[in-house]
Amino acid sequence: MWLTSKIKQVLLVLKPGVVTLKYPFVPRPVPDTFRGAPYWDHTKCVGCGGCANHCPARTIMVRDICQEIRVMMYDGSRCTYCGRCADVCPENAITMTNKYELATDDKYDITETMELFMLTCQRCGRCYEMETKNAIDRMDLRGYRYDNIEARTVIRKTTDQFEPKVFQETAQFKRPEKL
Amino acid sequence: MNTIESVTQTLKSKFGDAVKATETPTGNRLVVDIDGAKVKDVSKEIMSLGARYMVSIGYDNISRDNTLGLIHTYAFDKEQFALMLRMSAPADNPVLDSITPDTPNAGWSEREYQDLLGFKFQGHPKPKKLVTADDWPDGIYPLRKDVPHNLVPPAAEDVAYQLDEAPPGTTTIPIGPFHSSLHEPNHWALYVDGETIKGCDYRGFMTHRGIEKLCQTQLSYNEIPFVAERICGICGSVHACCYAQAVEAATGLVIPKRAEFIRTIMLEIERLHSHLLWLGVAGHLIGFDTVFMQAWRVREQIMWFCEKLTGNRKTYGMIIIGGVRRDITPEIRSELETICKNLEKEITTIHKAVAGDTAIHKRTKGVGYISKEDTIKWSLVGPVARARGVDIDARKDHPYASYGEVKFDVPVVDSCDVWATVLVRILEMYEAIKIIRQCLQKMPEGPILLEVPEALPAFKHMVMMVEAPRGEATHYVITGEENRPERWRVRAPTYPNLQGVPSMLMDNQFADFPIILGSIDPCFSCTDRVAVVDVRTGRKSLVGKRELEELSRKYKK
Repeated sequence: MWLTSKIKQVLLVLKPGVVTLKYPFVPRPVPDTFRGAPYWDHTKCVGCGGCANHCPARTIMVRDICQEIRVMMYDGSRCTYCGRCADVCPENAITMTNKYELATDDKYDITETMELFMLTCQRCGRCYEMETKNAIDRMDLRGYRYDNIEARTVIRKTTDQFEPKVFQETAQFKRPEKL
Repeated sequence: MNTIESVTQTLKSKFGDAVKATETPTGNRLVVDIDGAKVKDVSKEIMSLGARYMVSIGYDNISRDNTLGLIHTYAFDKEQFALMLRMSAPADNPVLDSITPDTPNAGWSEREYQDLLGFKFQGHPKPKKLVTADDWPDGIYPLRKDVPHNLVPPAAEDVAYQLDEAPPGTTTIPIGPFHSSLHEPNHWALYVDGETIKGCDYRGFMTHRGIEKLCQTQLSYNEIPFVAERICGICGSVHACCYAQAVEAATGLVIPKRAEFIRTIMLEIERLHSHLLWLGVAGHLIGFDTVFMQAWRVREQIMWFCEKLTGNRKTYGMIIIGGVRRDITPEIRSELETICKNLEKEITTIHKAVAGDTAIHKRTKGVGYISKEDTIKWSLVGPVARARGVDIDARKDHPYASYGEVKFDVPVVDSCDVWATVLVRILEMYEAIKIIRQCLQKMPEGPILLEVPEALPAFKHMVMMVEAPRGEATHYVITGEENRPERWRVRAPTYPNLQGVPSMLMDNQFADFPIILGSIDPCFSCTDRVAVVDVRTGRKSLVGKRELEELSRKYKK
């Protein structure tokens, strides 16, 4: 009993041999469906902000610095690579690449910023009308949005509900260093 | 044989006016509103009908009627329904009778709401702190709505958890918070007489992440599955699936059939790799590293397959409310079939090599004994219960996803020791492969994701059970208004099982502690998911915090 199971164990070990991969000396290829670092195609992006509203980790910030320019920033340091942004993007401007060696000591290596030129409606002079029912409003993007890009915080308030106080608070917010 | 009607009738006739209202939100859920003063008797009656206690849920209802709500949930496993016993207590004096003397497993739930909501439970045998940090200020109850989610109260120095008094004639051996036999931080004080364990005390909840509070105040419905998945590194899909099903059932969403099958496949894949992982860990804990290396080698091909299917080795992100995110293509399907074939062969080889090994028998047989009666009394779940001859399995007892449409056996072994848990888990792997094969065959074509309506109805209650590899995971959802749940309670399988460990440890050898604790496949971070900041432990330190800081500064230079 004891001996036979020991023989079986020896066979169990000998048969597969060495299976350890040679990584990092030999790169490990990943499947096409892999969810690596997301990539934004600025030529396709329409700046709807759907990705910013669906990101569970709040890594995508939107700031309208003026009527025509919307800045979108992706902060990879918090990203969980769930790929939800790529799912919801109506223009397929976001793709999950196969990059996974993303460790870095400079957070700007994994930060992406886009400045998008937004059109103004020729009829009313606004980006779009502040109704309550259209698709963009449902995405919580009424008016201009002003996330705190410096502090990398999503405030998710737009001009109709924006308070400078909230902005100030997030800018000054510091996690207590000493508990 | 109990039915929803018979239980309702029994409770109404026995307690009359104390039963205020009953409601059946779905065909297999019964909500009973009772007068809080009678909770002890009603609970005793329900338990005597053959129910199994699951978990309690406390919630803040102050803004609506100035009360705190409490719900005890029970499962009638053979009769396939669950009972939610709902009561409330005034917010200024939330005192209720404790049900712990009759149902010992409620002990932790009640202590949790003592810490988090400010409930007082009369007659609780051990009303100590459970969840919040030792230096958490009195009178701040983090789960109440008026406490912000990012509150960081000032820390106090030199507060420590008071461990239980050691029985006379024993020596205390501290294990943890960091110890080579524990995979996650938690603290055990073992009271030993020579080499024999005579008792223990546990202080855990050191990896709190405040997930429930965060999700109730910050995230939206379909962002929560991604957080739910991170409750546990191994059974991620289980929690995401359980949460999604609870919301779907509460709001009456019916997801496409194909999505249900894909969910089932994901859950079974997870069971396969979790059991292989556990088998490796168990081998490692008793110093048998051959099993460890080989089980993990076999496991690797599932991980690679998952990477291909979902885009990641773990935290698959597959399950959201309304269905699943990625489809199983014909190519993936044929690959999964090949993997099932390989796995079956490999698992059989490991099974044969392990089953006859006398060294393993000596380390596991008769170790960690807990009788069938005690298992039922402590409401233990999953492989731990099935290794004690208790035939419960949420997949059979409360069918969800597509488990109702596939045939499989639930392995039950009744030697009541660690060896039985090894066997149960190995046998379950064969069943998992069987289920995956049937699902691949029976899976209908069609959509995989349902468009979720904009506003889901608010204040619907639903409890959902999903059989995780470690046992039954229970999620309770109260839907809310602002596109997020009003209350979301997670009970991971380790939560009840860990409460049974003191009974398993009793009179065993000290050297068997790692494998006994390991036999429940403990997942402390699952259990510790609630509170708000980290806990300073009950270590009996000789150096104070300040001195420790100075010391570390000195050595850093």
